[in-house]
Amino acid sequence: MAPIIEIQNVTKEFKVLNRREGLKGSIRDLFSRNYKIVRAVDNVSMTIEQGEIVGYLGPNGAGKSTTIKMMTGVLEPTSGQILVGGNVPYKNRTKNAQEIGVVFGQRSQLWWALPLVESFKILRDIYQIPEKNYQEMLDFYQSLVDIQPILHKPVRQMSLGQRTLSDILAAFLHDPKIVFLDEPTIGLDVSMKAKIRTLVQALNQEKKTTVILTTHDMGDVDALCRRIVIIDKGKMLYDNDIDHLKSFFGSYRTLKIRVEGELKAQAQAIQKELPEFPVTADEEWISILVDEDKAKVIDVLGRLQSSCRITDMQLQEISSEDVIKKIYEEGVK
Amino acid sequence: MKLKKYITLTRAGIIEALQFRLATVVMVIGNLLYLIVVYFLWKSIYASAGTDVVNGMTFSDTLIYLVLATALFNFMEMYTVWEIGRSIQSGKIVLDLLKPIEYRKYLFWSYSGTFVTQFIFTFLPTFIIVAAVTHGGIHMGVNLLFFVASVVMAVSINYSIDFLVGTVCLFTESIWGINIMKQVIVLLLSGATIPLAFFPEKLREVVELLPFAAIYDVPLKFLLWDGVSMEPHEPWCMLLFQLFWSIVMMVLSKLFWKASLRQITVNGG
Repeated sequence: MAPIIEIQNVTKEFKVLNRREGLKGSIRDLFSRNYKIVRAVDNVSMTIEQGEIVGYLGPNGAGKSTTIKMMTGVLEPTSGQILVGGNVPYKNRTKNAQEIGVVFGQRSQLWWALPLVESFKILRDIYQIPEKNYQEMLDFYQSLVDIQPILHKPVRQMSLGQRTLSDILAAFLHDPKIVFLDEPTIGLDVSMKAKIRTLVQALNQEKKTTVILTTHDMGDVDALCRRIVIIDKGKMLYDNDIDHLKSFFGSYRTLKIRVEGELKAQAQAIQKELPEFPVTADEEWISILVDEDKAKVIDVLGRLQSSCRITDMQLQEISSEDVIKKIYEEGVK
Repeated sequence: MKLKKYITLTRAGIIEALQFRLATVVMVIGNLLYLIVVYFLWKSIYASAGTDVVNGMTFSDTLIYLVLATALFNFMEMYTVWEIGRSIQSGKIVLDLLKPIEYRKYLFWSYSGTFVTQFIFTFLPTFIIVAAVTHGGIHMGVNLLFFVASVVMAVSINYSIDFLVGTVCLFTESIWGINIMKQVIVLLLSGATIPLAFFPEKLREVVELLPFAAIYDVPLKFLLWDGVSMEPHEPWCMLLFQLFWSIVMMVLSKLFWKASLRQITVNGG
């Protein structure tokens, strides 16, 4: 089967006016032709198959939104090629629109003053969804989340969580092949986040919808994505499975122990004993970052038990958040 | 089926407008206040002129003209410039561009519901009041049919001009000044603030050829027309004049939008 999204060596450059400082500078800017070229996306390639959920990550200003805008057809790439469902998005924007759904966490496409169900009806007519499919979709939604209480509520009276949920439902309504979710869980509480994750997961499973998810919440990524793409300063840093990402950085685990006596002093003693692993201490725990390629955690524990009395212990896997943070800060080596 | 796509937007617009009852009331009151001001202003102009007829228009002619111009304005003004500008600033335009409808149509039909409500809540009442107060100042005959046809084209021309100006916002990213400038020019040159008959001869001849005259002056002339005072071919010429401008402006605004959008998609917004 042909991939649903194909991106080949895509670059996007913006012309930005070089602004000068102060009042005098601002006046001179009025006549300035002094532009600089900013490369927002630099030679990015990827292919995405139908039905995948891809986490598209990167620090703020990395070029994520620009890439998404190019995939939706709002922006035209400076060079390179994008095919979405076999179409060039910016050339067939209106046609492409029928095949995609978008949610921008900060904005709503819903009719602000109207009850949600009216927005749904408008979308049904705009996207020309057959009545039967529309009803089935509503029933399916109802089986996933209880939409009855919000269905007749005007959008402007909704909480942020309800509104985001509604926006996601609206984006999936016409059964698009691809849905772009741009920071869908921003500013939401834990239970609403969980609800939205379950919803997206179910829609992806049932409808085989491809989902491109940008987020800063690693919880979203862990819950939904098997594959992640990381981009920074317009360049692609990583494109692979999320599990592979962790091993990519060595198999680190954090061993936390509590021992008798003063922790700081004990920590120093342990550091001497285990020179190959960094040891830190806080009020409650002594943490040892164990590289499992060098020694198994269980062996480290054994060695420690011979020298001191351990009263309690905890084992922490390195989280995707730690890994991503490391990539943002240091890049991929 | 195809039409349903658009009618649904009209329907939404009507429901949306009806959600804000208080706004409707305030609008009707504001409209009344404006009409009172117009009444006294022109009453004093006629009083100081010392004659009953100024520039071929009697006081009641002028009043009908201006009152109905206001009513027409209320119902035709689409705040398109404002709308486009705001969605550019907030970035909402991205979502609108991703609807499977051309943006120009999408915006028009989204607004069309307001036409319906405004027509019922402001234009019709004003029209009835004026007709009643002036005792036959408005001829009820074939001129009304011409008027309706004329208003349809006026709406189209007005929208095209608005859309054209709104597109400029893509480049300037500011709305206020552009919007005010557009409003002043359109209202003045279309005869909505001062009847075109009051313009100096030379200026009037030029202005009457511009598209603005086709927005207010032509429909209003039809309303004031008593059914006999024009040559038989004249009303048709006026309609043709409107048709000409509505096509020209539509093509212009479409082309400009297309070119601008390309510019934006290339350089980013």
